[in-house]
Amino acid sequence: MARFFNSMRDGIGFDLILVGAAMVFLLALAGLPLVYNILMSFQQVDMFTLGDLFRPLAGLTNYVAVVNAPEFWLVTKNTLIFVFTSMAGQFVLGFSLALFFAQNFPGAATIRGLFLVSWVMPGLVVGAIWSWILAGDFGVLNTILKAMGIIEAPIFWKSDPNFSIWAVVIANIWLGLAFNMLLLSVGLAAIPRDLYEAAELDGANAFQRFWTITLPMMRSTIGAVLSLGLIGTLQQFDLFPALTEGGPANTSNVAGYWAWQMSFKLYDFAKGATISVMMFVLVLIASVVYVRSTRHEVRG
Amino acid sequence: MTRPYVPWFLLAIALTLAAVYLFPLYWMYVTSLKSGSEIFANPPTFWPVEPDLSIYPSVWFRRTMQTFMWNSVLIASGVTAITVLLGTGCAYVLARYRSGWIDFGLFMILMLQVLPASVMITPLFVGFNQLGLLNYPRTAVVLAAAAKAMPFFVVLVRATFMSVPRELEEAALVDGNSRIGAFFNIVLPLARNGILVCAILTFMSSFGEYIYSKSIIQNGAMQPASVGLSGFLGPNSSDWNSIMAYSAIYVTPILAVFVLLQRRIVSGLTSGALK
Repeated sequence: MARFFNSMRDGIGFDLILVGAAMVFLLALAGLPLVYNILMSFQQVDMFTLGDLFRPLAGLTNYVAVVNAPEFWLVTKNTLIFVFTSMAGQFVLGFSLALFFAQNFPGAATIRGLFLVSWVMPGLVVGAIWSWILAGDFGVLNTILKAMGIIEAPIFWKSDPNFSIWAVVIANIWLGLAFNMLLLSVGLAAIPRDLYEAAELDGANAFQRFWTITLPMMRSTIGAVLSLGLIGTLQQFDLFPALTEGGPANTSNVAGYWAWQMSFKLYDFAKGATISVMMFVLVLIASVVYVRSTRHEVRG
Repeated sequence: MTRPYVPWFLLAIALTLAAVYLFPLYWMYVTSLKSGSEIFANPPTFWPVEPDLSIYPSVWFRRTMQTFMWNSVLIASGVTAITVLLGTGCAYVLARYRSGWIDFGLFMILMLQVLPASVMITPLFVGFNQLGLLNYPRTAVVLAAAAKAMPFFVVLVRATFMSVPRELEEAALVDGNSRIGAFFNIVLPLARNGILVCAILTFMSSFGEYIYSKSIIQNGAMQPASVGLSGFLGPNSSDWNSIMAYSAIYVTPILAVFVLLQRRIVSGLTSGALK
């Protein structure tokens, strides 16, 4: 017994307690629910069986019902549009800004740091602000676009079915851009200066230097940033209730918000769980890419 | 253009870019100071004609923000306490050893980091319902949100512990400290700043937590400020100066902390997120 306590204080037991407490907590509140989610997607869940663990099995009926739902393909399309345009926008703008702020001028680091406020703000507040900027009648974005001569008539960003998904995409690009920029800046700073000097001596122009030095040297950073962008976009939820609530007529609905609507608006927990499982498969693919691109650093 | 002017020229561009990027924030504050009729002026005014601060106290009392903000502080404190208490030790062990098991643990944590809250909320809600935890909704939200926040915290704090020289800890052990002693007397004080920054980040992000609170807490007196904001926000909202005043009261403390600690937060993030 004394040896046991001694190990707690001074040996491997100490490490096991430290790591074990967190692991047990995470398993109970993240691992277990994940398994439970998969179980629920194969069960019939209604108000009467909500309190039971062993409910009548439903086989694949939940999956069939979700895929056959009239909005399924629309939501799938929206999810893909939302994820890929958000990622592309965040990455391209983030990379351009990172390249710009990599120049040597006074205050570069401080001003770059200011961009990160978008990342610490509550998602719902960001949604509220953009909801007002994008308002159709009195929104300031329409005024600016009109003054610049880009549009003739105001665009009803949130209520026009052709634009509703783009309203959320714009807000999401704004939200995620700064984090992308910050991570890419770190990658840029790690490229040795003398590579550029040597290339310059060899007569390479700015574009050639970018193409043959910056991009290859940034490969693992870009991989990590893109997969973190994918994960972050799939996690995005708060902007939807704040901006469009998935409407009008599901034209801005995505998988994550749809799953929540199923469970908490329609109280159809089985279908909510089913959509969640489908989405989880997507996230799994993204995270395998992410872990692979950070692996050399994980192995230290 | 001659060489010495280039940096100042770049600085001017940088300031313009920052102004464009931060315009939404400016617009929030300006709108909140406008009168009810001025917000619908066409074209909109970019500076309020008659800045009116009285909307702040009126929104504060009308929307019972005192309760909402207090609940947000409670939930964020609970999440931060659990995350720091459990996450710090875990990050320390993951930083200290290299083995297959440690790699596996780290892999699991990276996987948990990516689970969307919208995927987790359905099973969590049904599970909490079966356990009776829904009768203590704020506790339920704290537990769920802590599980969401912890993986990110562990990844960041692990990077901090990696930067503490191993030799210092070994020297303490040779001097007769136990592992516990070396951990509390040597390693923790050296990693204190990094842990503090990560704890503040955790607090800020759970201060804005929305999806779990919205789904789990039905009682208005226990809801946090994010749910309170959603109460008068929707595709057809029009009470914009009140909404913006509410938002401004809600985010100004976060923004103030961020601006004060900007340098530390940025360096804490960059050391952890990619390593």
